[in-house]
Amino acid sequence: MRASHDPESFRLVIPSQTRYLNLVTGLAKRASLVAGMDDATAAKVSIAVDEAVTNVIIHAYRGESNHQVEIELRFREEALEIRIWNTGQGLHDEDVVLPDPREYVKHPRKGGLGLLLMSRFMDEIHFQDVGGRSECCMIKHVS
Amino acid sequence: MADLTIQVREVDGVAVVRPEGFINAHTVRMFEDALEKLVAGGRFTILLDCRELNYISSAGLGAIMGLIENVRENGGDILLCSLQENVYAIFDTLGFTQLYRVFTSEAEALQALAGKA
Repeated sequence: MRASHDPESFRLVIPSQTRYLNLVTGLAKRASLVAGMDDATAAKVSIAVDEAVTNVIIHAYRGESNHQVEIELRFREEALEIRIWNTGQGLHDEDVVLPDPREYVKHPRKGGLGLLLMSRFMDEIHFQDVGGRSECCMIKHVS
Repeated sequence: MADLTIQVREVDGVAVVRPEGFINAHTVRMFEDALEKLVAGGRFTILLDCRELNYISSAGLGAIMGLIENVRENGGDILLCSLQENVYAIFDTLGFTQLYRVFTSEAEALQALAGKA
């Protein structure tokens, strides 16, 4: 029997290919709705997941298509917790430098926006190494 | 259904680009190609009609950002219209609504470009 405090969760493993992005973001959006979020919030969660998985494919795996990206959706009572794992070149919390949107507007440039969107659209983001893999953990509270 | 289709037409000297679907890291090359083709052909005033755009990730924003300097240096601009709520939230969150003129409809945007508004 599952302990009452153990959140329900499921996992998805995809090849490190951008063709699967739409599948994952669609799932993240539906999961957000199931968790109790409204449409607008669910759309923001799906964008954050798109950015996180894209980062893994493009940066951690340098665009190599023969790796795996594992995604877990965990339905906590008060939040949706999304964990994304890879075995490539991972990020750590101390590596994350978010651009200042005010400066960005003054000096537009290409790139650097994905992490900013993730941080703005989710309530918490953490990057760390777990069990020999790199993990991105994103949390969105259900209000 | 394709993740992204793009229609381009000309209205009163303005290149109206209508992406339909999703612009993300998978589809951004198609979007970028469409914009670059316009700029290479000397079309520097571009209206992005986003009514059928379901979402755009930072990859797509980067594609727009990569061209804005070029079009403005050539006397043109990139404008946006008919953004869905979640797409507007993305642009607004990143300050893009300060960088680009945003209109509620294509007609309003074209009117403004024609100097009528």
